[in-house]
Amino acid sequence: MRKHLFYLCIAIMLFVLPLGGCKPATMVNPDDIGYPPINFSLPETERVELPNGIILYLLEDHELPFVNISAVIKTGSIYDPVGKEGVAELTGIVMRTGGTKGMTSDEIDSELDYMAGRISVSAGKESGTATMSVLKKDIEKGLSIFSDILINPVFEEKKLKLAKELKTETLRRIYDNPQKLAFREFVRLIYQGNPRGRLSSIKSIEVIGRNDLIKFHKRFFYPGNIMMAVTGDISKEEAISKINKYFGTWKTSGKVEKISIPHKKDKGSVNYLFKKIPQSIVILGQFAPGKRDSNYYSFEVLDFILGSGGFRSRIFSEVRNNLGLAYSTGSFYSAKSEYGVFGAYAMTKTSSTVRSLSAIRAILKDAGKIKVTDEELKWAKKSINNNFIFSFSSAEQIARQQMMLKYNDLPEDFMDTYRDKINKVSSEDLQKIAVKYLSDKDEVIFVLGNEKGFDKSLSSFGKVNKIVKSEE
Amino acid sequence: MKFRNKSKMSYHYRIYLYKLIMILALALSCIALTKGAFAYDLERKVQEFTLENGLRVLIVERHFSPTVSFYIRYKVGAVDESSEHTGTAHFLEHMLFKGTRTIGTKNFEEEKKILNQINKVINALDIERMKGKEGNKSKIDELNRQLEALQKDSGKLIIKSEIDRLYTENGGADMNASTGYDLTSYHVSLPSNKVELWARIESDRMINPVFREFFSERNVVIEERKQTVESNPQRKLMEQFLATAFMVHPYRRPILGWASDMYYLNVDYLRNFFKTYHAPDNTVIAVVGDVSASELMKMIKKYFGGIPSQKKPVSHFSEEPVQQGERRVELVSDANPYMMIGYHKPTLPSFDDYVFDVIDTILSRGRTARLFKVLVEKKGIATSIDTANGFPGARCPNLFVFFATPRCPHINKELEDAIYEEIEKLKKEPVTARELEKAKNQMRADFLRRLSSNSGIANMLSYFEAVAGDYRYITNHINMIEKITAEDIMKVAKKYFNSENRTVASLVGIKE
Repeated sequence: MRKHLFYLCIAIMLFVLPLGGCKPATMVNPDDIGYPPINFSLPETERVELPNGIILYLLEDHELPFVNISAVIKTGSIYDPVGKEGVAELTGIVMRTGGTKGMTSDEIDSELDYMAGRISVSAGKESGTATMSVLKKDIEKGLSIFSDILINPVFEEKKLKLAKELKTETLRRIYDNPQKLAFREFVRLIYQGNPRGRLSSIKSIEVIGRNDLIKFHKRFFYPGNIMMAVTGDISKEEAISKINKYFGTWKTSGKVEKISIPHKKDKGSVNYLFKKIPQSIVILGQFAPGKRDSNYYSFEVLDFILGSGGFRSRIFSEVRNNLGLAYSTGSFYSAKSEYGVFGAYAMTKTSSTVRSLSAIRAILKDAGKIKVTDEELKWAKKSINNNFIFSFSSAEQIARQQMMLKYNDLPEDFMDTYRDKINKVSSEDLQKIAVKYLSDKDEVIFVLGNEKGFDKSLSSFGKVNKIVKSEE
Repeated sequence: MKFRNKSKMSYHYRIYLYKLIMILALALSCIALTKGAFAYDLERKVQEFTLENGLRVLIVERHFSPTVSFYIRYKVGAVDESSEHTGTAHFLEHMLFKGTRTIGTKNFEEEKKILNQINKVINALDIERMKGKEGNKSKIDELNRQLEALQKDSGKLIIKSEIDRLYTENGGADMNASTGYDLTSYHVSLPSNKVELWARIESDRMINPVFREFFSERNVVIEERKQTVESNPQRKLMEQFLATAFMVHPYRRPILGWASDMYYLNVDYLRNFFKTYHAPDNTVIAVVGDVSASELMKMIKKYFGGIPSQKKPVSHFSEEPVQQGERRVELVSDANPYMMIGYHKPTLPSFDDYVFDVIDTILSRGRTARLFKVLVEKKGIATSIDTANGFPGARCPNLFVFFATPRCPHINKELEDAIYEEIEKLKKEPVTARELEKAKNQMRADFLRRLSSNSGIANMLSYFEAVAGDYRYITNHINMIEKITAEDIMKVAKKYFNSENRTVASLVGIKE
């Protein structure tokens, strides 16, 4: 009977609705939908300094039975000794995999896997990260291993050998992955002359020994150089006392010198690397303002309009939508506190390489010549500000964010004032910074592909520097 | 005085109580252990609804932040295409971002006329191009000219990328869509006060999409193939691997489509494909975040309730005949070696599939997993080794796959032999109690870790509701896993891991 009724309903609906295009109940213009206000009070992260100098950012979240720690260490591959590029990365890997004074590497792996816990140590360019995530019931065991890894790694030879061999193989294989290869080459070129541009190679990995790792660890891993965001199913009091218990006796100290930031280039360059692939990868970019620069907010908006604001952004809209030349195209803006890098890219079939590059360049040039429309500016600001709430979607994210503000030496109210500052950006500001930062005079252009099939020679952009496939 | 007396009197009672508490505590801990030792019960948090038109809706309220994640899963994917129209499901996913009759146009009535002409010209052009050398060159040029003029006209009426603009402007995050063999999915996260925007857009594109900018978007997906497959030797190998392991079943075709099919992706076939499969009764929605389920359902009923249900599409897939001998395929490429080995097996929710989930964990989850330990650490012949159960889809019987990357100077063959050795061990020696318990611990914790974000939960619930027919498959998964024994693992390994049931694909470098 019920089933019968159900079919009757369907029949009626089919009958009532006009054929060939059905209208939902409400066809309100999506721009006219009214939204209730959003209420959100940001959960407060507590900052605590332990007696030995470790700074903790604490935020409880009892939904799931995990305790999570995300630590940041002032270090990074920019501190790799010259000729031994890769020390920072290997130190991170072998700290995690090479055993400690208290436990062998095999014991650590076995304990962690059995309790389904996760510990990682890794090095980025300008920071180091160590994380731990364990079930609440395993907190003692977890902290005992985590602290031992950070304080007392022994870098077992066999694990260093393994890490070096794996890294070497990864480097050998970079050439198999065009995207990785292209962005790596771009990084090398943009940072040329700065430690950020020194990348590891098979040769540099080969000469790294256990002592290099021991030295690197000693130089950067001490309580005054580490901060931890602690979140999850643990009270603040318990977190403080537990961390003190496992890290409190750690009393070493040191000093980390600052590495100079990269400077705006005097002139640009056109670079080409051959690879026999049916598609070229085109990247062009230059230095941009850092987060402490007053131009930062304008540049965020500019980048959004140019190529990182999704389908409507200019590069995506032109290169992908209008011209159908690429699937992946757009821009990126990555800002540290004191400097930033802006870039635009497209992956396009070989025969439209120069056409895509020219299309992107024209868009960048226009930004300095013509003011953005009010509509575009409004769209960008609204988008950025409405999306801002996603900076606070988990306790882990919130606590880590607070910690990273401190790490990057940004003002405490950085997040609080962000939206206001975005709102104040004007179209004049955008034009001004476009002129200042997007000149083609210091632009680094990189193309990976097969020039035999290019629609035009790259030399129309300047003297072409042909990169020789490096031995890695 | 009175008090003391009373306490004396109650001494025995207290002992009794203490014992009772102990017994109760033990009983509770037993329950807790069998339930997986965690107090998190996702199933109880899911609120489920079915609209009269058959649309399934799953909601989980989570109030940490004022955000919400939406997943829409259409039970249609690359398996549902006919063999000469490969790539249609994926292309349709792209075309559904082009707007509707009321989103993305300045005047739909006018636009419609031009779109009809455009489609006719593209169809004529495709037919001429299909003729290859026999094609009439001047006719092609003429059609191209016509197309360009028409596109110019329609361009004046189009408001480009409106769906993306609306979501972006209203704070949308993780906006994306994906097409698999089994399902097509659309997801977005929004500030939680923007629920109505999602309902307005998604209900509209469930019935009234307009396939504008067809021609340029077809070029975009062709570029997508160049980028993700043709420039990527491992992906190219995977294509060959699937086409070898499956001789008949549609899992053999690439999701993006074969290159030659993509040049002729057809608008009429696309429309028909859309009409057949994008119906409310073939769709699952999951919403997780800062919402009230009852309020949300009012909104969903308002926008989706009027969409007529359709006759549920019945999918018939050519069944893959039982494999009766090893198959091997080789791809020669300017790249380092790599290999895949696959065995046919049944899909979920068969018991054997659960056993394969455990095998998967034992072989490749973590640094103490068997394959990492032996191939990467001990023998030093692999750079990485991974396994996957349920490849490349789960609506139909699928594969258990090994992905192996040798370390120079070692070659695929050495890895292959070492993998077979490990497989033989699985068949002959029962896994130890500790190893089995380790795998179960990992699976329990991994499941819980997936519950740490709105989008993670929405993703999981909608996926299993669509593929397994009931989200409870995943909320109960760990309880099934608890039952699996060392004998089950040996039995399943013996049954499926044999050479007749095996496909091996290897990427080998160009010989100089």
